[in-house]
Amino acid sequence: MTSRMENKGPYFIDFPARIKSIQAEMAKQKIDVYLGSRLRTLSWTLDAFCPWRSFVVIPAEGMPAAFSFVIDAARIADETWIDEDRVYGFVPMGGQDQIELIGDFIKDQLKGGRGRVGIESGMSNYLPEGWLTHYEYQRYSEALEGCELVNAHSIVDALSIVKDQGTINRFREASRIVDVGHRVVFDAIKDGGWKGMTETEIAGLAALAMRREGSEWEWSFTGGNEIAAGYRTGLAGGACTPATRKKLAAGEPLMVDIHAMFMLGLGDHSHNYLIGPATDRQFWHAKNFTDIVALTLKTYRPGITPSKLADQMMAFAEERGFSDYMVPGFEHGIGMMGDEWRIGLNDGPFPYWTNPDHVYRENEVLICAMQYACPEENIGFRYENPIVITKDGCEEMSKYPLGIEEIR
Amino acid sequence: MAQAVKYLSPQWRDEAEKRLKSELSPEKMNNITSSMSNIYQNCPDGKTRYLFFKFEDGNFAELSIGEGEPPAAEFRISGDYQVFAQISRAELGSQKALMTGKLKLKGNMIKALKLASIADRLNKVLSKIPAEY
Repeated sequence: MTSRMENKGPYFIDFPARIKSIQAEMAKQKIDVYLGSRLRTLSWTLDAFCPWRSFVVIPAEGMPAAFSFVIDAARIADETWIDEDRVYGFVPMGGQDQIELIGDFIKDQLKGGRGRVGIESGMSNYLPEGWLTHYEYQRYSEALEGCELVNAHSIVDALSIVKDQGTINRFREASRIVDVGHRVVFDAIKDGGWKGMTETEIAGLAALAMRREGSEWEWSFTGGNEIAAGYRTGLAGGACTPATRKKLAAGEPLMVDIHAMFMLGLGDHSHNYLIGPATDRQFWHAKNFTDIVALTLKTYRPGITPSKLADQMMAFAEERGFSDYMVPGFEHGIGMMGDEWRIGLNDGPFPYWTNPDHVYRENEVLICAMQYACPEENIGFRYENPIVITKDGCEEMSKYPLGIEEIR
Repeated sequence: MAQAVKYLSPQWRDEAEKRLKSELSPEKMNNITSSMSNIYQNCPDGKTRYLFFKFEDGNFAELSIGEGEPPAAEFRISGDYQVFAQISRAELGSQKALMTGKLKLKGNMIKALKLASIADRLNKVLSKIPAEY
């Protein structure tokens, strides 16, 4: 994972400045202390991966404090940029359980132990999001008697949506690593190498290759590297395929969706194959897909919105006669580890879903993602690639060539 | 010393200091620099007392007993007098007392973990002082 020693050069992120930007927004909203609990907030503020229940407490001024399950607190202290004595471990002991420990810490930050405390409350399709639970809310309300708890996650959401160069470079490096994984998979399956292989083996081959390049883990909560063969590629709307023990078979499609993490920057690229002999019909599906991916990548630019882009792409698919097979979504959100859900702020018609009218701006990073599925023919494809919106278009971070090769 | 002294009395403090100095070398104390206040609530006379320890580079530097607010310390353990007495009589483990909420610890748990065995050594020395509770 990220080490404080590595936060330099092209990967440098000015974390104290991030904290100051949060504190400035807290001041505007009259929030005295911010209690962050989401994984994305922890990554964005601490530069450390926090897999156990963790919290960051950001006072009105000065350095934040981090709190985690004690078994992992020393490791977080070793990796984060904040001072070691600002990292605390909680345990089920008198005075040391998370509610009392953090509650007391927050009260110490407040004049007279009273004030407005920003919390993170909401919902997500992403299970490890880390919203404050109902139980935690109740307990903190009791522990912080005299304080007002107010929902404040939009502060971090708004500040983290446009990415700085250090973050973008971390994503670029994670994507370079993913490309190495794809080359290793291709070398392993070509020329009959695929025979006898399972989805899990391909996932492992990619993982080893990417770890050799410095990937910290196959970060996706969807089972790490997602590999699907045969009918599993064509599950209706299916954009989640943890690898199984299914063996690759001649005449079937293969979807290789692999993930690498570099300093909490995320690589996520999906490439597709046809295990030969492929039929003309399969090639037709494949061309449909690569054409719409290419067009989508050409279309992303500042000013466009998810709905405008979807309208254009679905019109293209309709014209070409394959709209029945397209899932009408062409993106998902992405940020430092834990930020893998909606695009934009929580300002759309359906709370906590992507705002279809979100207007992309330069230096926003998202996953250009699309899914093609024809269940009746047991065929489907997935494309995912982190892109950064540039001045007049987008940069594809994974450089692995777009294509659907027939593997013999 | 065979005669029992009153727990937390000046005589008990003197005996504790003597034993801590002679039985806990800087090496045994892992050359730590730290401080700890034990806060005894509901003493038999109804008062609250503290016991303050300070070590510098593993050397025993200060031991004081008093009433009211203790000196600032890296760790602060508070609880009922009877709970501390049970620990001193080896009837209750300090870990169990903490994990059942009978004692409260204030201070950084990451550092406390590193000092847990040292605290046990210290408690063991104190538990051998013949005392009346």
